[in-house]
Amino acid sequence: MGLKKAHDTPSASENERRLPRDLPGLLDALADPDPMARRWAARDLAPYPEASHALVERLSIETEPSVTEVILTSLTLIGDEVAVAGLTECLRSEDAMLRNSAIEAMKQLPDEVAPWMGRLLEDPDPDVRIFAVDVLESLRHPKVEDWLIRVITQDAHINVCATAVDLLGEVGSERAKPALFALKQRFAEEPYIQFAADLALKRIDTD
Amino acid sequence: MNDPCQISDEDFQKFREFFYRKTGILFEDSKRYFVDKRLLERMEATGSESFRAYFTMLRFQASGTELQALINVMTVNETYFFREEYQFECLVNSLLEELVARRTDTATPIRIWSVPSSSGEEPYGIAIYLLEHWPHINRLDVEIISSDIDTDILTQARRGLYSPRAVQHLPPNLLKKYFKRVGELYQVDDNLREAVQFTRANVTDPTDMRLHRHIDVIFCRNLLIYFDDLSRKRTAESFYDALNPGGFICLGHSESMSRISSLFRVRKFPEAIVYQKPWEAR
Repeated sequence: MGLKKAHDTPSASENERRLPRDLPGLLDALADPDPMARRWAARDLAPYPEASHALVERLSIETEPSVTEVILTSLTLIGDEVAVAGLTECLRSEDAMLRNSAIEAMKQLPDEVAPWMGRLLEDPDPDVRIFAVDVLESLRHPKVEDWLIRVITQDAHINVCATAVDLLGEVGSERAKPALFALKQRFAEEPYIQFAADLALKRIDTD
Repeated sequence: MNDPCQISDEDFQKFREFFYRKTGILFEDSKRYFVDKRLLERMEATGSESFRAYFTMLRFQASGTELQALINVMTVNETYFFREEYQFECLVNSLLEELVARRTDTATPIRIWSVPSSSGEEPYGIAIYLLEHWPHINRLDVEIISSDIDTDILTQARRGLYSPRAVQHLPPNLLKKYFKRVGELYQVDDNLREAVQFTRANVTDPTDMRLHRHIDVIFCRNLLIYFDDLSRKRTAESFYDALNPGGFICLGHSESMSRISSLFRVRKFPEAIVYQKPWEAR
């Protein structure tokens, strides 16, 4: 007994990898009853953009969080229109873990998410609009401030505006000031909006 | 006109994106001097007359040897024996105790994976610590595997030769017991060198990661800080599958798995905070 050299690094067992590692085999494995097989399939599908449909479909029925995480990572790596559409759909989910993971994934895809942002910020569901603003929180895209200004100028829902104005306090510039003053007028009776808009204006003046 | 022997802003961007795709390592703008210096060194070593010529070779060379050589100079390899020793204490006092208490199969060795190996101080340090401080080492088998993306550093690790600076935190009795003097240097004794298995692995490459399985404890300290968010997440997910249920990950003191992935449980032990794959995980 004691220290023993690992001469053979154990690889996946036959049972764990019983399906071929080509595209059809991996797509089959995505429905395997064993979560580990599904995780490996989802991970190995990342180099196949044509798998994004299957990954999005699996995401909608997957119950094992560890598989969901890997699917989201692979969709982020694929980053095509289907993948981004799948991620945006997750913003409607009741599952907070899925929603938050999708928000984190979308933040990694600024250029791919940008074409969707207009639609998300006009979604009929205010929660989706709030989550879209959450995506903007660390989206490295030059239009972030424009989108936020649009939200505080046009959105009728106070919670959506409140989320956006908080973020404008971090990323806003002189350009945002007229919209912030207008917001204060539009929600003149709402103390939180007054407070958050004043704070944003103060921070912009300090910068 | 650009000096062909300088790295322009566009060259830097192009190289940074390429290197990131290959390794998961993202160089921030603040690393510009570090990157330029090493690129120019490799351009000179390969006789490349411009960045463009060098980059073309890097991308299209069939053998990939220049890419590996570049990875070797771009990765940082600075460590010493018993660095962040409190985690070794945690290993012997808490982690292995819990793993052993729940084991039903005593015939299978406990597997510890140290990544990146750098020049070997960590895996050999773990081996010494176990031999000195873990009483069950006499009745249970332990395998130590250690990996790095840098093949030169793996060769150095296998050789096990260290400067006085690298061994300065080792108590004199351990230095005497496990090392021999080779001129001004210290060499890890043959039994220890024989006990550690060194492998080449890129932790962001699923193909490499698939070869590392059934691990009980992973030491991955001060590596993920060089990665961007997506590469950190991919690595964490691969670690999840590399670990046995109940297996632990020890990160560097400034790193937190909670900011990377929700797959692991945070465990607070008296000596350290570590991350655990749930026992019930499949």
